[in-house]
Amino acid sequence: MISHVLEEYLEAIWRLQERTRPVKTGELAQQLQITPGAVTNTLTHLEKHKLIVRKPYRGITLTDKGRAMALRVIRKHRLAERLLTEVLQMDWSRVHNAACELEHAMTDEMLGPLEKTLKEPTTCPHGNPIPDESGRLHEEKSEPLSDFKPKDKTVLVKITDEKPDVLRYLASLGLMPGATVEVQEKAPFEGPIIVKVMGATYALGRNVASVVQARKL
Amino acid sequence: MSCHGILDKTIQKVDVTVALAGNPNVGKSTLFNLLTGLQAVTANYPGKTVDLNLGVAKYGGKRIGVIDLPGTYSLDPTSEDQWVARRAILEERPDLVVAVLDASNLQRNLYQTLQLIELEFPVVIALNLIDHAEKIGIRTDYQKLSKLLGVPVIPMVASKGKGIQELLECLTNKATTTPAKRSTAFDLCLERAIHRTEEAIKSDLHETPYGLSTRALAIRMLENDPEFTKLVRQEVRGSRDVELTEELSKSIESEYHEPASLVFARQRHELARQTTEAVQVRARQPPLLSQKLTHYAVSPYTGIPLAVGVIGGIFAFMLVAGGFLGDMTSFLWANFASPSIRLVVTTAAGKGVVSRVLLWGFDAGIFGALSVGIPYVLTFYLVLSLLEDSGYLNSVAYLADTMMHKIGLHGRSIIPMIMGFGCNVPAIMGTRVLTTRRERILACTLITLTPCSARIAVIMAAVGVFAGWQYAVAIFGIDLLVIGAIGWSLNKLLPGKASGLVMEMFAFRRPRASTILKRTWFRFKSFMLLALPLVTMGSIALGAFYETGYLQILLAPVNPIMYALLGLPAVASITLVVGILRKELTLQLLIALAVMQYGPSASNLLLFMRPLQLFVFGLVVTLYFPCIATMSVLGRELGRKSTLAIMTSTIALAMLIGALAYRTLPAFGILS
Repeated sequence: MISHVLEEYLEAIWRLQERTRPVKTGELAQQLQITPGAVTNTLTHLEKHKLIVRKPYRGITLTDKGRAMALRVIRKHRLAERLLTEVLQMDWSRVHNAACELEHAMTDEMLGPLEKTLKEPTTCPHGNPIPDESGRLHEEKSEPLSDFKPKDKTVLVKITDEKPDVLRYLASLGLMPGATVEVQEKAPFEGPIIVKVMGATYALGRNVASVVQARKL
Repeated sequence: MSCHGILDKTIQKVDVTVALAGNPNVGKSTLFNLLTGLQAVTANYPGKTVDLNLGVAKYGGKRIGVIDLPGTYSLDPTSEDQWVARRAILEERPDLVVAVLDASNLQRNLYQTLQLIELEFPVVIALNLIDHAEKIGIRTDYQKLSKLLGVPVIPMVASKGKGIQELLECLTNKATTTPAKRSTAFDLCLERAIHRTEEAIKSDLHETPYGLSTRALAIRMLENDPEFTKLVRQEVRGSRDVELTEELSKSIESEYHEPASLVFARQRHELARQTTEAVQVRARQPPLLSQKLTHYAVSPYTGIPLAVGVIGGIFAFMLVAGGFLGDMTSFLWANFASPSIRLVVTTAAGKGVVSRVLLWGFDAGIFGALSVGIPYVLTFYLVLSLLEDSGYLNSVAYLADTMMHKIGLHGRSIIPMIMGFGCNVPAIMGTRVLTTRRERILACTLITLTPCSARIAVIMAAVGVFAGWQYAVAIFGIDLLVIGAIGWSLNKLLPGKASGLVMEMFAFRRPRASTILKRTWFRFKSFMLLALPLVTMGSIALGAFYETGYLQILLAPVNPIMYALLGLPAVASITLVVGILRKELTLQLLIALAVMQYGPSASNLLLFMRPLQLFVFGLVVTLYFPCIATMSVLGRELGRKSTLAIMTSTIALAMLIGALAYRTLPAFGILS
């Protein structure tokens, strides 16, 4: 049985590492709001359990085992947040801390029924994706929105356009990762497509639709 | 009119100022008209073409100044309409913002309302279209919505005047003009960052830009809002705050794995979703007829024939109605207006040069503006308003998107482009539906090359009648090729990339005559106010040159060039210059001058111009720079520099292609 502290560490490392780069000890200490000296001890412990790999001058990366464990904690955390906002009607801004406590007390058996009660949410109240049972985030497999057929229901995974203005504009319409996007119409000859997002309908030119990555629901 | 303190300047003595904000197509203009009647004026920021409508509502002995903001989805300045909406709301600081929401699409609509509440404006929600929402099975708990957001909520059906009394009551009631009791709450991580930024702002800045609250400024800065970041950086100790927010944004980004601005957007959307779910119940209902129609209008097999039919119908309508109105205008002008103007001018200025110059302006000039305005601009606006109000415009845009992308435009430009065949002027004004300047320049350039009805008349009468119809058709063919080639190459040459189409598709709804007529009238009025003085002054200037003989003197050195280059006789260059007044004048004047010079028989143009010369003449008239009315709208829409660039390049293009035709065609044994 892994302790709460170790879980917190794995979660923090995963959050920092998600951008596919090794995590520096200093960053981790800052994230956890403790001194770098205290971090080192626990890291040695994690390494012994083969949950992380440390390379001098490069930093910390999670092993497959560590990553799976981290995602399990994230899953609990995000489901706990849902539980607090949806069932207990707690204020949105207050649930983060409570969820930090709850996540460690939740057993794996609780999660299935909890998901059912919450109507299988795909994201936490803040819109971040909830990893599935096998500890996977769905983000890995996605295809351009333009490759789907009319009547396909999809979840938007990412937008590969880098321009902040474009991202911001699309986001203001609700076109952002995690959003449910239903393809309604598709014009022939590389024409635009019509999608439904958050109850509103938009036509997206093919060049826009091709930078929007989604996966089928 | 500049927008700084627009209300003070244009509307005097109001007791309270309100701004109407909301998404496009939520009935905002309907509400504005309902509140203010027909006495509205428009204003715009320098260099911006998105207008603000201003008006006054009266209620209970109070005058309420109303600013109608452009319909936008958010307050981020990512497009021109959003920029204008935001600037107006920040600069004018209305006492109250009315967030007009579509009850049938509450979740998306609430996003902007949450942004308004964040800015700590006193907000009143006008929940519009509740009849439509109920028809599709959506019921809203207004009181709960009001309680959740801490702002008054007034259910409305603006098109039927329902709820207007309650709204006016609310606008004039002091109690409602206080900010919402609570702001939107973000999650702990964001709130912490907001708090830290607020602390820094409080200690570093004397005052915040636009007098925003520290919280509102903190949120905008953490979202990396370019405008506020720049304004804060200019403050003495502002760069410290900017650095702090950049650092905080970065840590938000590493926490959530996406840019801070998206994290804020996401949380707002989530709040909007939760609020909507808490206050609305949805009953399942079979799709309405209008929803099925939308499907048929955009599926290729039914949609394309329908679009071709509708566009053909519009064109026919514009030809018939425009032709009729044109004849009426000419008739009334020639029989009533013109004689009285002539009488006044000749009585005042005699029969000399001065009087003739004045007649150029006040007779021919005003007639020129009217003969474009009434038959073409008015009918175009009527059709455009109808297409907009019914929601069909977007279906056509959707279908045309693929085709228009080839020339660097997107689907929305199809309607103005087609309308260019009737008259370039309203077509250019119609390019406002396009969002980027690049697209506007492209579309406007191509529109000025589109043969309008006046040019079609010249081609048909001069070339079709005297040189043969196949040559008239050839001119149209060459013109279309030129448009395609110019569009294609401009798309490659202009900096930037063609922006993608992102357009909301509205369900069809029954167009309302009052809305359409009012919108048509406003647009027509703004066109006439713009064109009338410009065309009159331009005509007087041109008339002065012509009547004093200076035009002929000035053109004397040009004539040999015209002859050498294009093979055109001397009279032709004068007609081309005068043709900037109205293109069909080129032909009328050509005949008139020819008759003066060669006697009455010269009205058969073949007596002094060969078919080849007529062909070249028709080609040049079609391509060379637009008429004075077109130039004046171009100047207003794009600015002087771009207008000048378009003018000179189309002249050069006309000369080049004319010269090419003159040199090469005889070599192939075509025309002589």
